[in-house]
Amino acid sequence: MKFNRRQGFQAAAAAGVAATAAPREAMSQTRAETLRQVMGGVINSLDATMLGGTREGFGLVMNTYDRLCSMGRKPVSTGGFTFDLDNIRGELAERIDRSADGLTYTFHIRQNATWHDGTPVTAEDVKWSLDRSVSARSLAPPQMSMSSYTSPDQYKIVGEKTVEVKLPRSDRLALGNLSTPYAMMINSKLAKQHATSDDPWAINYLKENQAGGGAYIVESHRPGQQLQLRRNDNWKNGLNGELPYFRRIIMQTVPEAATRASLVERGDADLCIDLAASDVPAIEQRNRAKVVAIPQGNTFQCIVFNTRVAPFDNPKVRRAFALALPYDAMFQAALFSRGSKYYGASWTQAPNGLFPQPLGVNQDLDRAKALLAEAGFPNGLETTFTYAVSMSAFVDPMAALLQEALGRIGVRVAIQKLPDAQIGTLIVERRLPFFTDLGSAWLPSPDYFFRLYYSGETRWNYSGWQNAEVTAMAQEARFTIDQARYDDICRRMIDISLEQMPHVMLWSGNHEAVMAKNIEGYTYWFHRMVDWRDLKRS
Amino acid sequence: MRALKSVGVRVGRRLVASVPALLGVVVFTFVLMRVLPGDPAVFFASGPNAGQAEIQMIREQMGLDRPVHEQLIRYFSEIGRGQLGRSMTTGQAVVADLRERLPASLELTLVALILALGAAIPLGILAALRPNSPLDHVVRFVCSMGVCVPTFVSGLLLIYVFYVVLGIAPDPTGRIDIFAASPPDITGFLLLDFAITGDWEGWRAAAGQIILPACTMALFVLAPLARMTRASMLAVLGSDFIRTARSIGLSRWKVIVVHGLRNALLPVITITGIVFSTMLGANVLVEKVFSWPGVGSYALDALLGSDYAPVQGFVLMMALAFVVVNLLIDVLYGIADPRVNVE
Repeated sequence: MKFNRRQGFQAAAAAGVAATAAPREAMSQTRAETLRQVMGGVINSLDATMLGGTREGFGLVMNTYDRLCSMGRKPVSTGGFTFDLDNIRGELAERIDRSADGLTYTFHIRQNATWHDGTPVTAEDVKWSLDRSVSARSLAPPQMSMSSYTSPDQYKIVGEKTVEVKLPRSDRLALGNLSTPYAMMINSKLAKQHATSDDPWAINYLKENQAGGGAYIVESHRPGQQLQLRRNDNWKNGLNGELPYFRRIIMQTVPEAATRASLVERGDADLCIDLAASDVPAIEQRNRAKVVAIPQGNTFQCIVFNTRVAPFDNPKVRRAFALALPYDAMFQAALFSRGSKYYGASWTQAPNGLFPQPLGVNQDLDRAKALLAEAGFPNGLETTFTYAVSMSAFVDPMAALLQEALGRIGVRVAIQKLPDAQIGTLIVERRLPFFTDLGSAWLPSPDYFFRLYYSGETRWNYSGWQNAEVTAMAQEARFTIDQARYDDICRRMIDISLEQMPHVMLWSGNHEAVMAKNIEGYTYWFHRMVDWRDLKRS
Repeated sequence: MRALKSVGVRVGRRLVASVPALLGVVVFTFVLMRVLPGDPAVFFASGPNAGQAEIQMIREQMGLDRPVHEQLIRYFSEIGRGQLGRSMTTGQAVVADLRERLPASLELTLVALILALGAAIPLGILAALRPNSPLDHVVRFVCSMGVCVPTFVSGLLLIYVFYVVLGIAPDPTGRIDIFAASPPDITGFLLLDFAITGDWEGWRAAAGQIILPACTMALFVLAPLARMTRASMLAVLGSDFIRTARSIGLSRWKVIVVHGLRNALLPVITITGIVFSTMLGANVLVEKVFSWPGVGSYALDALLGSDYAPVQGFVLMMALAFVVVNLLIDVLYGIADPRVNVE
């Protein structure tokens, strides 16, 4: 007998309609004001900037710490909200002044803002926090440098509650970057008490303790198991000064995705954002929990060619591969087409500078075969396609289709699955010829994608592609305030990337949050974690 | 008194004799982890902008920039100070993690073992008393089912029946109801702690959480225990002294339990020791399915992330547990059969 656990749970839901959930629903008021989120990952640090900090920590610090400013949100037609990089408001700052030349920002801190310990927020605290974000041995400095923040000299105290930030050049992402988890504002008096000469930025202390002023306060933390928070009732830095709805948050690690699904469906947990993609359509159909699916415009999946080794150092080979792929079938097999396509447009020259967007790439086997022959491989070639074990749920079916389609232009593909830690090493060392990976950008402006994923020497330039023109344009675009010029540059970068095809953009899967039916206000954030401040129970 | 002292000396001698083996285990795991492909620094430097500089910083932080022999010496000096390094996965000291998680695994394993023995020994005896009867076949069937269904399947099945459909089990997320107050932290064994503080409501809640995972594990180890009891009982019941005992008119109970079972128990104890050590390390699937915060799932997560320190710590701890369990089994032998000597 073959036991399929998904079928098991489908049957469970059918039977479960009859089953009673009454004993738990009768819980007191506090249960209604408590949000229980279940997740597969763990939080290994209360300070998300720590080297080796997990992704789950981003959502945490957004809630336990404030930043000087915050991105807004806008409704999505399919329900829920998504973040809005173009609409930035003050969070800890009540007013932000920008100088005419765009080189100086002045932040006026809220008069009545306090830290969790009740002491007022001062300009020294803000200066120390900003200094830390560019100086500490942490993950923050490389992120801050993405918007020209590199030195403590750029931050100046100009009043008891006023801080001035100087930029060497006008930078499009200057405010956006100050809204990210790494730009958190820290109670410097408390942190400095625990700083040592070896550890001037109190990294060790903040890993296990908090010194913030955010909307929530960590009450207990069992690493790898659960984290409980209570609301900071003195918090006034939200939109219109409103307090978040939930008084208590429980974040619990439940490693098994099937268990997470049944917890939410039975109403014992309120929210889960990391269910197996294949479980979500069934949950939607059973309609016992709400599924909010929001496009993730700042993420993508791609198929990468190592442009530094043969045969993929030849753009014709890369283009031939790109033209051979059965995009729609792969999208259906991998994600049940639940997401946004980055292929299938009919144009050959980019009509605008948006990125990512559906690109002019489509399957054309004859053209692919011809290109391969032109590149000197009339009889095809052999290669290996690699992906991480953690992706097998959606890449397995896609890889089979890719193998079959490339076979039709004479390319024999061997498929290889590797553990995540191992594949990471191989990508960094550029030893994989042909593989798939995911990318995301916190600040999804086109130039940011091109700087991070199409140039440079970090792991994120997966293909190792070096194109002097794109590298120069990506740098220029970052400092270009004139929108028309900016769009021109981006159009040109898109055209070059399609011609050269260092990697094939496939799609971005929807962000699928499964929650109790009475949870409202769910927002998809650039860091892809939950911000509990948005949520309420109707 | 003298007997006790001699037992103590023997136990001490056994522990000292196990030191070279433990050292070997430490060195072997240490080297093995570094030979395996995959760089932990790359895995953990996965921030949105982390580059070569961040990878290098993590490497330094983990001491991976030094030559391997130097790393090994540093590791030994850490062990000497009672430390096992720091886990990147949880961000805690490995010793603290193990101290927190070992009681959870031990409690689960012990409860499962008690359940398994409680079912396996009577079943084994019954099967031995009526070999090849329908009853024997039923026992064989139950054992085969238990051992051939993987634990994550039987675990999910139990969750499905008792939690999803019937709704009588609490949600399968760890050792205690998430909304309950945190348990008294005395020994780390929740059932024991609640009993000590006399909090019987808490005790019942903890028992409710442990029963499903314990049953899942018990089902899996039922087979070796019951089969071994049956085989051993069959051999003993056919021997001369049992015939003698029967012929002199001893009661059936006395013949089976006092003369039969006691003599049949030695191989069962051996198997129990092995089963216990295996369960402690191999219950990772049960721990995953029931979100049980034990050492098995901890070590697996660390292994997947090439997180060296927790894996090394886990293996060392398992080796120690094996030494202790073997010792305990040898002492139990002596009690079950005075002819056997701990030496």
